[in-house]
Amino acid sequence: MGELYLESRLELLRSSQNPDGGWGYFRGKQSWLEPTAYAMLALHGTPDSEASLDRAWKLIRSWQLPNGSFRPGGEVQDGTWVTAQAVTLACVRGLYDPNVTRSVDWMLRVVGAEHSVAMRTASYFHLLKTKLDVSHQGWPWRDGNASWIEPTVHTLVALKKVAQHYPSAELQHRVREGEAMILTRRCSDGGWNCGNPNVLNFDLPSYPETTGLALIGLQGRSPAELAGPLATARRFLAETKSSLAKAWLTIALRFHGENPASAPEDAKVSGDVMLAALQTLGHPAGNYRLLQTGGRA
Amino acid sequence: MNRRKFLILGGAAVVGTYAGTKLQKPPKLPDGPAGNSGVAIIRARSYSDDLVARMLEGIRECGLDVRGKRVLLKPNLVEFDSSTVINTDASVIAAAVEVFERLGAAEVKIGEGPGHRRDTLDLADDARYRATVPKFERIFTDLNRDDVSPIRNFAGESRFYFPNTVLAADLIVSLAKMKTHHWAGATLSMKNFFGIVPGSVYGWPKNKLHYLGISESIVALNRAFRNTFAIVDGVVGMEGNGPIQGTPKPAGVLVMGRDLVAVDATCCRVMGIDPEKLTYLRQAADLGHVRAERIEQRGETVAAVRTNFALIDEYKDLRLG
Repeated sequence: MGELYLESRLELLRSSQNPDGGWGYFRGKQSWLEPTAYAMLALHGTPDSEASLDRAWKLIRSWQLPNGSFRPGGEVQDGTWVTAQAVTLACVRGLYDPNVTRSVDWMLRVVGAEHSVAMRTASYFHLLKTKLDVSHQGWPWRDGNASWIEPTVHTLVALKKVAQHYPSAELQHRVREGEAMILTRRCSDGGWNCGNPNVLNFDLPSYPETTGLALIGLQGRSPAELAGPLATARRFLAETKSSLAKAWLTIALRFHGENPASAPEDAKVSGDVMLAALQTLGHPAGNYRLLQTGGRA
Repeated sequence: MNRRKFLILGGAAVVGTYAGTKLQKPPKLPDGPAGNSGVAIIRARSYSDDLVARMLEGIRECGLDVRGKRVLLKPNLVEFDSSTVINTDASVIAAAVEVFERLGAAEVKIGEGPGHRRDTLDLADDARYRATVPKFERIFTDLNRDDVSPIRNFAGESRFYFPNTVLAADLIVSLAKMKTHHWAGATLSMKNFFGIVPGSVYGWPKNKLHYLGISESIVALNRAFRNTFAIVDGVVGMEGNGPIQGTPKPAGVLVMGRDLVAVDATCCRVMGIDPEKLTYLRQAADLGHVRAERIEQRGETVAAVRTNFALIDEYKDLRLG
């Protein structure tokens, strides 16, 4: 069961690796860390993949900057949120060397800019145009910007996975803070959007894909605490047409003990490398467990 | 000074400065570039009108020559909600593809990088782009995940990255939607360029632009990309709490021009908004014309089509007298 669905996507991934070892968002395009990371997770442990995964890892390693962060692609010079994905990959590969330590240090140093003293003061005086709880520390897409759900989730996954090899009170603290940040950013309709539930006193709607991601970041929280969000995620999975959202929601629900229905065997493969990788990961026979953190750090 | 006193005094200073800024009359706008700018206001009462003919009329009025050029159409595809009109209508995009091909463009592509949602093709499906625009998937690029290259000195940044599809275009056509906006006052042809900033580098949302300043970023994008043309979909716009949660507002017009500052200023007047009160237009006054006397209105007059868009309380003072 599941061979056609899984094989067609794995084949796309195998055939679209770039000569430099990475994957683009689409076949034949520049290599980026994000699709490369998902492709590597999807192919991990599959027959005859070892050499291609080693080449991919070598490329990713070449994108690490002296401050520990990783560039999102070969053309871009600055380190970003993808640092978390590189650390997750390192954990999956069983690497816990000083390079990983530098990345962890970088992640622990980076804090969403809305947590600054100025912003917290503005929040105290109700001067912000958003109803935002700025008391918790999440992670931004780029250092110096505000924190958002998706980069916070990826960083939480990385920190929880690396935690036992990096015992640190600061790490524990940031994981608790990151989870609290996600919980306070929940939209009034039950799920999550990018991370801004209200602007100018108008509630904003949640999105299915970010709701799935938020639940991945909240692995290990009690089922009772997440009953509402899980119900929202189930509803989104039943209703959404977005393949990306379905992929994230499926992975998230698996982490919370559920077994969502598999996609039809003949579901068409698009040319979207990242999507194919996430669909492969979320399949019952896929590698979704590689993103599992087993709970809190 | 204890913490409580410090916070009270600090807060009072902030409130005082804010109030002072709000009450201050903005200084007179500079003259702007030499000459006047032509802006065409073409009536289109519904999306079933002959939009190709209307666009050809507007483009002719503006004297645009696209022969041999690689044209990139940049719609406003943000989010989808079937109860309102967030995005540039699919029929406007389909008409634009046909128009620019008919006018002899060497290539016509469509590119967009939504600011919040990552599944761009799913959004395009919801907005009926794939169903309405012939060969959509073949000519569409997700600008959030395109290959990128750096440009130098953008908005005070030594390097800033843009999609190669954008950098390769000879002409970028902003196919914007006529909407109010809860941060900028209005979102029209100039702000539409937020969607050319790649999410793969700057995230979802493109928060870097917020930290550079929304108005400053709008102006910087329009300063960086000068080979542009605007077609604003005001057939049915959005009023109230735009750009996502507002309500549909039929204005029955397409607004077009080569000077995007003048196009946006004209759209504002059509919407009953004073363009001289919008920060980004004031900051863009050296790029194009905001003042009415420097804009040659072609097609309809503003007065003939003006329809006041409802404004949220925050922006009531933008109302045009």
